Amino acid sequence: MDIYDVLIRDFPFLLKGLGVAIALLFCLLVIGLFLGLAICLIQLYGPRSRFVQWPLIVYERIFRGIPIIIMLFIFFYGLSGVYDISAFAAAVLAMGLRSAAYQSQIFRSAFQSVPEGQMLAARAMGMSSSKAIAYIVLPQAIRHAIGPWTNEFSSQIKETSLAYVIGVVELTRQAHYIITSTQGNVLIVFAVVALLYFILNRAGNSALYAFERKLSVPGFEK
Amino acid sequence: MDSDLVLDVKGVKKSYGGVEVLKGISFSLHRGETKVLIGPSGSGKSTLLRSINHLTHPDDGKVYLKGEEVTDSNIDKMRARIGFVFQDFNLFSHLTVLDNVRICQIRVNGVERDKATRRAYEELERVGLSDRADAYPAELSGGQQQRVSIARALAMDPDVLLFDEPTSALDPELTGEVVKVMQQLASDGMTMVVVTHEMSFARQAADEIIFMEKGYIVEQGDPQTLFTGAENERTRAFLNVIAEHG
Repeated sequence: MDIYDVLIRDFPFLLKGLGVAIALLFCLLVIGLFLGLAICLIQLYGPRSRFVQWPLIVYERIFRGIPIIIMLFIFFYGLSGVYDISAFAAAVLAMGLRSAAYQSQIFRSAFQSVPEGQMLAARAMGMSSSKAIAYIVLPQAIRHAIGPWTNEFSSQIKETSLAYVIGVVELTRQAHYIITSTQGNVLIVFAVVALLYFILNRAGNSALYAFERKLSVPGFEK
Repeated sequence: MDSDLVLDVKGVKKSYGGVEVLKGISFSLHRGETKVLIGPSGSGKSTLLRSINHLTHPDDGKVYLKGEEVTDSNIDKMRARIGFVFQDFNLFSHLTVLDNVRICQIRVNGVERDKATRRAYEELERVGLSDRADAYPAELSGGQQQRVSIARALAMDPDVLLFDEPTSALDPELTGEVVKVMQQLASDGMTMVVVTHEMSFARQAADEIIFMEKGYIVEQGDPQTLFTGAENERTRAFLNVIAEHG
């Protein structure tokens, strides 16, 4: 069978792999988004006590300082001794927790880009600090965060391929399965896989760019 | 108790890093009154103004709004009743003019949307900007932004309006439109405390001028008396300097 027939025959498997990659990406970004935002809010507006602040700093340093492959091994092989965790769940956890560390930084600098007078005016008008954050500071911080967040999105798409090392059957692993039945015609298979990642990346970037334009108001343009 | 008494400031003190900027300030304000705080920079005027609604937390002393003490636990409610106009406007930059004037009515006072919209247009009309309701702050001149911020404060139905050097951040040719709005408010019977260097405003609109220096009230009185024959030498010196430069 020639390579193109194999590709056509097995293309549904690649799409399935792409689906798993997208699911992984979605889960890790959502975990990263909520946890990252929570960390940022506690760091900026939470109690100043070091029992609260230090663990967050330690968390952030650890997850930003260790290679993701090691994290994947720890969460899969390490945790599997304690708790029976699936490869997919381990990948979501390891990558989601790491993304949270990065996203907390993105949000923190976005919040810090909002001039202090905005919070001051909101408080002076009688808003509680949580209302002021929700209605005044957060909507502006989001506008500052979209650009760097798009970068995080792009790098996470690419890194989902690393989940392959702990056996998640995502796009890259599907490609390997196909290669074993093509007598080593590696280039063309990986070229197709590369194209799929690239399309996903561009589509995501376009969507985020459209979101950015939708939120754009005078005074917040690039 | 005096039913017309709106604001009663008693013995307010504030220090920054060991330096006492307010050394026990007391004054009161009755309904419909406009008091203007003047004095050299660093005299504590803005700190005093911010102490009233606890944007700066006073170290000592009390502030009463219509007989009710301003405390940490009622601060949000009290601030909703104390309009504050900042030197650098601080309009919410992601919101249109209309939403700037509407959002705190809705989110703080719980006014329903339609009513808040009508009220917002009324106040924008009053400051002459109802035709710019859909603009964003970045699209307005400084003078227009300050007028919107006055409308934003007015829409909350405040018991008193505090102005913290409302024209100091404006180009000279834009101060007039803001001063005009403030003069109109004063003559409409709004209760106001104004920190300003605009002596024309002080002269025409103030019921009383309070001259501060080094954390004390040095002298206070009606504009006529103060401008023509201030008793205190330092008041006279300050007014002379202002007169030469203004």
